[in-house]
Amino acid sequence: MAENRREEQKLWLILFQIKAIRTRLNLLAIQFWLFTTLAVLIGAAGLIYLAAIALNPLLFLTIAILVGIFALAATVRIVRAALRQAANPGRAAAVADHRADLKGRLATVLALAEAPPASSLWPYLVEDTYTLRHKFEPSKVEPRWVSRSIFAPAAVLVMITAVLLAMKYHRSDPAFTADGPPTEVTADLGNLEISPADPSHPANARVYADPATLRQLEAKLAQAEKEDASRNSIARWMNKARQLAGSLQDQVTGQTPGAIPPLALKLQGAKTPPGGADSGPAPRAGDQAGNHPDSASIMPPENPGDGVPAAGGDQRPPITIPPEDPDRLAQNGLPSMPGDNSTGSPEDLGGAKVGSGYASEAGSNHSAGADPEHLFGAPTAEPLGSDSFKLSVDARPIDEASSGGAPAYLPPKVRVPLNSQQWPDEPLARTSVPFDDRPTVKRVFER
Amino acid sequence: MSDPELGNGLAAQTTVTVADFARIFRRIQSEIHKAIVGHEQAIEELLSALFAGGHVLIEGVPGTGKTTLVKSLGQALNLSFNRVQFTVDLMPADITGTRVILSGADGRREFSFQPGPIFCHILLGDEINRATPKTQSALLEAMAERQVTAGGVTYPLAPPYFVMATLNPIEMEGTYPLPEAQLDRFLFKVRLGYPGEEELVRIISATTGAPESPVEPVFAAVEAAGAIEQLKRLVREVIVAPRIEHYAARLVRATQPENSRVLGDLHSPIKVDAVTRYVSFGSSPRGAQALILGAKVRALLDGRANIAYEDIDRVAPAALEHRIMLNYAAHTDNVDAARIVEEAVKAVQAARR
Repeated sequence: MAENRREEQKLWLILFQIKAIRTRLNLLAIQFWLFTTLAVLIGAAGLIYLAAIALNPLLFLTIAILVGIFALAATVRIVRAALRQAANPGRAAAVADHRADLKGRLATVLALAEAPPASSLWPYLVEDTYTLRHKFEPSKVEPRWVSRSIFAPAAVLVMITAVLLAMKYHRSDPAFTADGPPTEVTADLGNLEISPADPSHPANARVYADPATLRQLEAKLAQAEKEDASRNSIARWMNKARQLAGSLQDQVTGQTPGAIPPLALKLQGAKTPPGGADSGPAPRAGDQAGNHPDSASIMPPENPGDGVPAAGGDQRPPITIPPEDPDRLAQNGLPSMPGDNSTGSPEDLGGAKVGSGYASEAGSNHSAGADPEHLFGAPTAEPLGSDSFKLSVDARPIDEASSGGAPAYLPPKVRVPLNSQQWPDEPLARTSVPFDDRPTVKRVFER
Repeated sequence: MSDPELGNGLAAQTTVTVADFARIFRRIQSEIHKAIVGHEQAIEELLSALFAGGHVLIEGVPGTGKTTLVKSLGQALNLSFNRVQFTVDLMPADITGTRVILSGADGRREFSFQPGPIFCHILLGDEINRATPKTQSALLEAMAERQVTAGGVTYPLAPPYFVMATLNPIEMEGTYPLPEAQLDRFLFKVRLGYPGEEELVRIISATTGAPESPVEPVFAAVEAAGAIEQLKRLVREVIVAPRIEHYAARLVRATQPENSRVLGDLHSPIKVDAVTRYVSFGSSPRGAQALILGAKVRALLDGRANIAYEDIDRVAPAALEHRIMLNYAAHTDNVDAARIVEEAVKAVQAARR
């Protein structure tokens, strides 16, 4: 009788130790699930944030979807792995058997403890297992209390922080961070890619131009609407996806699109491309010699704050894209650039053109304003503001990364002194065309 | 000269401990090794089959010590031992015994049963595949039922009854391969290969010089049978967990081409391609019995009262190889049963993790 009680006590101790092992294994399994899931979620969020900062909307959307799918799949796999690691008593005994080299003693005792077999060797098995209990103490079977998976979220955090710091270091663009996004932009209509305004976007720009340019703008807008109507559904879906991705990027990066200051857009007459102004979409700004791609990106960056106060309060430096009709712009009251000593006179503007990095436009834009109707006779003076009207312009930057919170690259203003062989550009004096040459000139310009 | 500390008095003991079993087993092994050089695994499997209560089929080329092994075993166990050389003209009555007319002192004549060589504790059937199937099948009843029926009278065979049959894998002309039913009655099939160089040197020195110390019996003659029976009962007492029984069952099913999808502990199906491709008939349920019984002996030898997975894996080749019938594709591709068992064990091992 007493021997039976002793055997039961030994059996209870063996089972208790198996239970302790099971508890420890399950604790580690829970930690594994928790830490690994945390690492995956942090990693996914970090990747999406980095993509929102650094990539254009469509690429961002693609990356975000891929990362989301990956995170979901990884989470499912982690749950399954954690469930596999979780131990029922049988598995805990099997693990202890394996790690303590007990050759199935624990698993056998556990399996038959409820209904011990009528074997004469059962007491021997219990006693034998009990004498080996030092080998299957929980601390020996599983010495760890904390799962090694705790390093996973820490490593992910460190990596993401390092990448963010590196990006911040590389993005220290002095021109942009000092001045903030521009509020006044002068653009060449020929360099603008115009598309119908999204009704969901409020009008946030005032356009100033001479009547001819405005008419060209109207024509171009009509053409854009016509093209937009003829676009296939995939293109429309791409546009919607782009807009969705853009708004998602805004949300991810914490931007507030409503805080964008209104843009004063000063349009100049379109340079007539060889195929005609309305013969197709406007050439990309980066394709023209001397034009930086951003020179035609007139959409103001949607991150006006960006942690950098604008120089001079709300007044942002105007951007000239490319100024080729300075006297027209002067008539429209082009404000001078802050810090610029020019007085706004045509001569000053011409000087600014030379110094602003767009000097090469002078040669390439010589045909701008070559409207046959304007060729003959003196240009009519336009009263200030008389022909300005407000319209919504959906001007897309060529570098789409700029709309996703990443500031567009704005070349620093550099003034290069002219050498002795150079003269500042001056507007050509208008003169009347000789009568005999008029049919020829008219035929050439109407071609 | 039996060992008083080991075999003597064992039959009188009420209980035999696990330590006793291992000690006696090792002692018998060492005695046999006085006559046999090498073949450690073969000797262990032979003794395992003896204590598991089964019979052994020994396959080996001539001169590898098959007969010497069996003789030394009989000497070590101090049990009655007979040897029958199977030939093509051997008749069943030549081994089971026959009724003969005997004249009594009063002149009366009566039939009397004269037991054949099958009546012993240890029977060696040498080159059993040279006898006709009729003679081979005469062993069936003796092996399975441990009794012999002659002239309508059944004669029990004294326990322990242990049959060891040898097969010569070469010189197959004029032989009669054992039928599957008879093969299945052997618990283990033990292979005796050629000895290595060191072993061969020891064989040369041991057999061409002065005779070395002879094999000494481990048990006293009167107690030997009882002691061995007690050890056999101890083997039956070894505890088997249900998962081990399932493991053995899965392993046996893995050798059957129609059941070669093995269900593991995680219920993940595993297909044994080699079985599907090369096996005509897999192991019978006797294979599972052989696995468990052999594993029980292994557990006792390791000082355990329970079977582990490793015990099953260890005895699987000896227990299953001769129960697997290969098809022509296996012969064409030079695939043997050993490889089939190996693949099945691997598949079941993977499924148990």
